[in-house]
Amino acid sequence: MHHLETDSWLKTSDGHTRGYIQPQLLKELWFHTGTNCNLRCPFCLEGSKPGDNRINAIELEDAKPLIDEAVKFGVEKFSFTGGEPFVNPEFVSILDCALTYRPCMVLTNAAEPLMNRIGEILPLREKANPLSFRVSLDHPDEKKHDESRGKGNFIKALKTLGRLYRYGFNVSIARLSLENEDVNAVNHSYLPIFKSVGLPEDLHIIVFPEFHRPGSIPNVPQITEKCMTTCLNQNQRDSFMCNFSKMAVKKNGEIGIYACTLVDDDNNYNLGKTLDESMKVRVMLGHHRCYSCFAYGASCSEC
Amino acid sequence: MEVNYSSAVVRIEWKSPLVFELIIERNEMEFQPGDSISIFNADQSQSRPYSIASGTSETGLRLLIQKLPGGELSNWLSKLKAGDHVIHTRPYGWFRPGQNLAGDPFIFIATGTGIAPFLSYMRSCPERPPGCCLYGVKRVCDALELELVQSQCEVKLAVSRENDHQYHCGRVTGFLPALKLNSDLHFYLCGLDAMIDEVSEWLEKNGVDFSKIHREVFFYAPS
Repeated sequence: MHHLETDSWLKTSDGHTRGYIQPQLLKELWFHTGTNCNLRCPFCLEGSKPGDNRINAIELEDAKPLIDEAVKFGVEKFSFTGGEPFVNPEFVSILDCALTYRPCMVLTNAAEPLMNRIGEILPLREKANPLSFRVSLDHPDEKKHDESRGKGNFIKALKTLGRLYRYGFNVSIARLSLENEDVNAVNHSYLPIFKSVGLPEDLHIIVFPEFHRPGSIPNVPQITEKCMTTCLNQNQRDSFMCNFSKMAVKKNGEIGIYACTLVDDDNNYNLGKTLDESMKVRVMLGHHRCYSCFAYGASCSEC
Repeated sequence: MEVNYSSAVVRIEWKSPLVFELIIERNEMEFQPGDSISIFNADQSQSRPYSIASGTSETGLRLLIQKLPGGELSNWLSKLKAGDHVIHTRPYGWFRPGQNLAGDPFIFIATGTGIAPFLSYMRSCPERPPGCCLYGVKRVCDALELELVQSQCEVKLAVSRENDHQYHCGRVTGFLPALKLNSDLHFYLCGLDAMIDEVSEWLEKNGVDFSKIHREVFFYAPS
């Protein structure tokens, strides 16, 4: 029996119909560039680290057919995450190809791998579409950032952010939310840091909740169909990433299209080998990270 | 689409107390000076990138590998024997020492095994050597292929943890103030991040355009 027909996919553990999203469109296609990373952050939701190969490095030969297919689906943007995308040997070639068709965004730690390749990156400013970078700056406190990412990485990321901005790229930052934090106050505390490297005060900050390590099974409430229809309105349901987005992931040498950026540790969310196949699959909200989208409106997208 | 290759070990030769040269069969793979390959461990769950030190016309791929305490890959590789096989990627890279410069002068700055891509260049393009090579090591015995480098250009060796009156005692950054900078000069930097960040910062502060500073940082994330 295919997993899409099993009770555990369709129903919660107490027998209620699971909440779901029936994808309507493809505004954004993400590519996972691989779990190889220059850093070894203990909180990494992908479990990425140096030399890791859980998710393989995607190649231009893998990405090009999906870029073409996504354009036919009317995609508005391509986004890239890892791992650290710039440790992937073919990443700049993939970006070069994708930028021919649509704007692109790269999630990066803005440390050595990006700086090693700055000579390849700068010519991408001449492409038909803009390239933007979202840099992880976990905390406004340098020490807290470096506790997980390694000493000196806060300053490296910050300097690279300033450099990318001066070079004319769009930049934003991603940070981790703190328990019971005052979001505006924490965001505000970044302002002097931005100013120190010439970044604008209104730099976009994306705040992420705790997503837990891949394969973990935290105890979160299950989402039923009733939850989705009584607690959320149509606009809120439409804003789930799995409604308008997909992610291409290469595992064991094969590409799979996953429901979103947060569920690649569960093969049930591998919805097919092509976008066409994957767009037809109803996404059941059974992954623990689905609850983050439900409860906090979490989204990796800037669409 | 699997792109990994299996190549036989030709030999292992210790170049210093901590660094060995692993030579594997090339199997006609094309590469350019500055390219690396990533080698996988036995179950292919982990890999590490290593710069190629061979010349482009050599039949083997030379890799200079530092045996790290607790280093999963480097310890395993150091025990391989001729005829054993390693799984690796095809050569890849973006660091292009001495290349695409239209005749502009250039110098190399390296620490430790960061000399590898420069050795590849010197073995491949001996007709166009760098202006000089600044090379930093901990002890004199850690300096790799010094004779080859000295045969092509002036070498300034900095030794940080040993006193030897023949060489500069200290870090490679100690050579920077004496450099004659001009607007055409390109700098190729390879090694650990602290040296490269410090050199890059110094060069930029002294008016070198960032586009003339080419970096290949070996990143190291201890577990």
